[in-house]
Amino acid sequence: MAGSKRDKKDRDEKKSKKAKHEAEVVEDDDIDDGTEALNSKDVPASAARECTEAAAEDEFGAQDYRKTLELKADHMSRPLWVAPNGHIFLESFSPVYRHAHDFLIAISEPVCRPTNVHEYKLTAYSLYAAVSVGLQTNDIIEYLRRLSKTSLPSGIVEFIKLCTLSYGKVKLVLKHNRYYVESQYPDVLQKLLKDPYIQQARKRELDEEAGNDTLIAGQLSNKSALQLNKPAASTSDGQASASTAENGDNENAKEDVPDDIFELYDKIDKDDDDEDEAELKTVSFEVNQDSIEVLQRRCIELEHPLLAEYDFRNDTLNPDVNLDLKPSTILRPYQEKSLRKMFGNGRARSGVIVLPCGAGKTLVGVTAACTVRKRCICLATSGVAVEQWRSQFKMWSTVDDSLICRFTSDAKDKPMGCAICISTYSMLAHSTKRSWEAEKMMEWLQNQEWGLMVLDEVQTIPAKMFRRVLTTVNAHCKLGLTATLVREDDKIADLNFLIGPKLYEANWMELQNLGYIARVQCAEVWCPMTPEFYGEYLTMKSQRKLLLSAMNPNKFRACQFLIRYHERRNDKVIVFSDNVFALKHYAVKLSKPYLYGPTNQGERLQILQNFQHNPKVNTIFVSKVADTSFDLPEANVLIQISAHGGSRRQEAQRLGRILRAKKGSAAEEYNAYFYSLVSQDTNEMAFSLKRQRFLVNQGYSYKVITKLEGMEKEDLNYRSREEQLTLLHQVLAASDEDAEEERLLGDMPGKSLEDLNYRSREEQLTLLHQVLAASDEDAEEERLLGDMPGKSLSNRRVGSMQSLSGADDAIYMEYSKNKKKSDHVHPLFKKFKKA
Amino acid sequence: MAGLTYKKLVCKDLHTYLRSLTPSVLDKLYCHPATCLAVYRDLPELARHYVMRILFVEQAVAQAVVKQWSNTSPEEQVEAAAALMELRVWYEQPLPGGMPGWLLNPTFRKNLSTALLGGGTPWLGTKDLTPDKYAKDIPFLDKYALERWECVLHFMVGSNEGSDGVNKDITDILLHSHLMRVDDGEPSITAEGFQFLLMDTSSQVWFFLLQYLDTVQTRGMDLVECLTFLFQLSFSSLGKDYSAEEMNENQLRFLQHLREFGLVYQRKRKSHRYYPTRLAINIVSGVSKDATGAKLDTHRPGFIVVETNYRVYSYTDSPLQVALLGLFCEMLYRFPNLAVANLTRASVRAAMSRGITAEQILHFLVSHAHPEMLKNNPVLPASITDQIKLWEMERDRIRFTDGVMYNQFLSQADFELLRNYAKDTDVLVWEMPEKRVIIVTKAGHDDVKKFWKRQRAS
Amino acid sequence: MVNVTKGVLVECDPAMKQFLLYLDNKNEFGRKFVLQDLDDTHLFITADIVEILQDRIDELLDQMSFSIAEK
Repeated sequence: MAGSKRDKKDRDEKKSKKAKHEAEVVEDDDIDDGTEALNSKDVPASAARECTEAAAEDEFGAQDYRKTLELKADHMSRPLWVAPNGHIFLESFSPVYRHAHDFLIAISEPVCRPTNVHEYKLTAYSLYAAVSVGLQTNDIIEYLRRLSKTSLPSGIVEFIKLCTLSYGKVKLVLKHNRYYVESQYPDVLQKLLKDPYIQQARKRELDEEAGNDTLIAGQLSNKSALQLNKPAASTSDGQASASTAENGDNENAKEDVPDDIFELYDKIDKDDDDEDEAELKTVSFEVNQDSIEVLQRRCIELEHPLLAEYDFRNDTLNPDVNLDLKPSTILRPYQEKSLRKMFGNGRARSGVIVLPCGAGKTLVGVTAACTVRKRCICLATSGVAVEQWRSQFKMWSTVDDSLICRFTSDAKDKPMGCAICISTYSMLAHSTKRSWEAEKMMEWLQNQEWGLMVLDEVQTIPAKMFRRVLTTVNAHCKLGLTATLVREDDKIADLNFLIGPKLYEANWMELQNLGYIARVQCAEVWCPMTPEFYGEYLTMKSQRKLLLSAMNPNKFRACQFLIRYHERRNDKVIVFSDNVFALKHYAVKLSKPYLYGPTNQGERLQILQNFQHNPKVNTIFVSKVADTSFDLPEANVLIQISAHGGSRRQEAQRLGRILRAKKGSAAEEYNAYFYSLVSQDTNEMAFSLKRQRFLVNQGYSYKVITKLEGMEKEDLNYRSREEQLTLLHQVLAASDEDAEEERLLGDMPGKSLEDLNYRSREEQLTLLHQVLAASDEDAEEERLLGDMPGKSLSNRRVGSMQSLSGADDAIYMEYSKNKKKSDHVHPLFKKFKKA
Repeated sequence: MAGLTYKKLVCKDLHTYLRSLTPSVLDKLYCHPATCLAVYRDLPELARHYVMRILFVEQAVAQAVVKQWSNTSPEEQVEAAAALMELRVWYEQPLPGGMPGWLLNPTFRKNLSTALLGGGTPWLGTKDLTPDKYAKDIPFLDKYALERWECVLHFMVGSNEGSDGVNKDITDILLHSHLMRVDDGEPSITAEGFQFLLMDTSSQVWFFLLQYLDTVQTRGMDLVECLTFLFQLSFSSLGKDYSAEEMNENQLRFLQHLREFGLVYQRKRKSHRYYPTRLAINIVSGVSKDATGAKLDTHRPGFIVVETNYRVYSYTDSPLQVALLGLFCEMLYRFPNLAVANLTRASVRAAMSRGITAEQILHFLVSHAHPEMLKNNPVLPASITDQIKLWEMERDRIRFTDGVMYNQFLSQADFELLRNYAKDTDVLVWEMPEKRVIIVTKAGHDDVKKFWKRQRAS
Repeated sequence: MVNVTKGVLVECDPAMKQFLLYLDNKNEFGRKFVLQDLDDTHLFITADIVEILQDRIDELLDQMSFSIAEK
């Protein structure tokens, strides 16, 4: 039949297109999982503005600012340089560092923050964010001028004015159940009201005459809406003392800070100060609720994007929810700081909070919900994450179980009387037919007026899905949470104008040094390709190359060695593989449980629970399904055997799986380990470097290990050439599908939602059984440790990466002289520490 | 051989240099107290001890007795005795009874005594000096010396800024020492020159002076005279002026050269007074093993910050420092007091292809590390140190050696015969007994071939 | 009898050797250049190919690397 032939042809064409695209995806650096450019109408034209100023080049090709910038006489006591192209360099060892840091993080994007000199960049978005949290154009310019070691480039002053004068001046406020456009600047409102569309959107009392343009006068409080439990005064724990030390720093530093900087810091810092109750005068006009979308679009076109603020205290239409933080719940200083940015003016601002994984993003979300005390909807990336949000709500807040309602493919609680709904993005973004039950649930969700919408891991969601979610559910205030906001990402545009500006971004190294997140040693382990594998690799196409690199016997052996080494230390190990063939092969060969896309929810939870509580299960293999939101507090070792091209976001998210602060390990320089196993001379080398960029910019450094000390003494698989050749044959016999990496929700640009639907159905099928059979060794360990699960976990032993890679200087094969040691006592295990 | 290898620049220390001089030159050098004192200070501790014990003994002392004077290891004793021998500070002289003995060089004895006990004429001219109405203080002299010296370095880097004032004398020495060579009629820097730039200042000055001293005889000047003057300068006082009145024509020429290098300050060419700078005063102490005292370094102490993300921040306004950094970094920004750069694989490989080694780059970064960096141990981030070394090793992953392969030997005996011959004559590059393959050097091939023919003929 | 051949001894790691054999098999330079495959880490090749080979190896190494530093 002609029809079916054509269909087939179409399908083939599609297939080849797809294949082509996949090849590109692999070459790609950061795959923007289906991000399409936002509709230009959603972004004001000026947001695309860049601060560029041509400068002379010196003879070495550097931008030469020596003639245009004048060094101040007291430059030593000022902490930063501002380049005419918007880049800012800040000395972290300056006595004024803290003052400057708080300011810079509010007005610019951090580019890199290693040890001594941090780099930031002024962008249109960052300045938009600055004004939206209350900073004023002149204050920004003046403070930057005072902090700078040199005169300010004139282009920078212009740029700041350009980006801040119109932004952040107009707000959309829901007050007493009515919508108002509010501003502190009457002239701006008058200007907007000249626009016919906005005129139309304005709501007038019936008896009011058209043409009466009187604005409603009002006041805005400066008092924070955030009420938190204060830590007890007598504190011996690290957290509190760390925060007091911080304050102490401030006191001491005062003397070294030039007066003009100190004055202005005081003024700007007042925004955070809840003692201050200054009232600001505002003007506003009311608008019709049904014209809001037109209004928003029109305001963007007029370069006055509306900031959404929710005056939840004066919302009497939506009932208050009986929800508070437990008295025992204490926030860390940075969590508090981020929330102050959100609730600074007595209302709730929409926006995004950026905190490293493991730094307690969920608690920030829960606290926000407890502050607003209205109906709250939380969206997460997976069913597992939904369960974790639920348990976190119960851990930190006084919420009653009956008030929480889950809406996932596996769990659909009754919505009656619920106040907190937790679901996934894919559930809400579904466009195809749902079950009757799900349909009813969706109707209910859409009919609610939500006080707060919390969007977890907000950077992972494709724009299309994102918009669908935001238009389906009505929420007065939106809070996005993320760990990895990659600067060059198009996503920044989405987030800025669909949710709101970035409210706060924490410094990873600072949190690490204060002990809030684990101290992770990152290492790139170079595994030489065996000659046979490399011979095949050279002749193969790109998909096969990936599989051969992942299945390199030397990589397998390195992985096996590292698992053994860390299991002996009583560590908990997660092994990541994007390639399913490798995932299964490694896991089965090593008798470890694994989970991936097709593993159903119940089984996933079972594996994760075993990993957390069962002393027999110390290593699990996972695919990219575990990249985000799997909270595994016990895990402290991560081994990556195959990854998704050069995605730095994935690298950071994976690191996040082991970042949760580890207890009782203060004596060790590092308490968590992240190994990326890389097959030498393959594409993995360049990809690995690309992947590292984000973390390196956060101040992490990767140690290259070219030889794992002690590996040759272990009895590992694939030692002989025969075994290696057998493996090679298996790899060559694998189907093309096996060679591909796992594809998940949102991986492919332009992927239709029908596909997603199919995926989620597939997810409900159990395709494989988990390998839980314990080895003899495991049984022995259990006997030793008795029946106390978790006991072994606290029994970690000290060992550094130095010892693993051979001495510090001996990382190179050529140099490392293998010292003979007794076969039984590995030098790594000589030291023993009870936590 | 494919792949260029560069010879490493070796800077002789004072001892090694003196040892290379002829006995007659040495004996002449010891005619001046300043030389003797300088040589004495540079001796190993035990050797100094020996010299002090026999300074006033005018006859040979039994070697067996000398051995008793310390309980240090025999190796150290042999080393000390050898050092004294090499420099002709003492020589072997049998005692009347025939026992072996040591006798101190009488010239050395006399002049060292003068140096230590005083007496004799002042070493440098102070005659008829009235107070200088243009008197110069130490900071001025330091600044002057640095500027002069940096001119030389600037000239080598080929940087546009600040390299004026380099005359033919300096160019000649740079060419003579192979730090530069003439390309297309223009002097340009060599691989050795790059290595030279990354050395510290006192080593640079010393290396440069040695090269200069090599050429003094061809300039019709006297080596001993120059050396003696240099040693005298090294004992002069910083900030004090000296008279050039009584210097002869050769000495005045030498003084002019030192003025060009920045070792002395003279307001005008014809001035009758000059001020030694720190560069001159440090020449001996700067290269001896236990150098103490303030060093004048053109790479002002501590200004480079190296970050884990491959960023390099250099707190400097010196074009020379930026030029040096530019040897192995990609330069990004220049602020009035800061240069921002990246260490990249490309920039480091470019440096390596010019003969600069990983070790030299790391030494440069460590020795000029910013005070904030010095708080770390190690000073540089380990991952950066490793990476620079890995980039160097990467260049060495494959080695090519020209050679001639001999294979398909009929018997193991034939193979072994030829293999042994090649091994004995030191031309064997590689062998593989299992396959009966040997590879000999290109140069050794003819000889091996002849040997093989002879064997087959016999 | 003995066979005598002029050329260049290549000493490298096993993976790099595979790369050279791959180029040779593919006839990358229009002719064979490996004269003798000696062992896992040694090859004997024609002398005239060395320079162009060096370039290809640099190219390979360039592909493996990526500049991590922010511009």
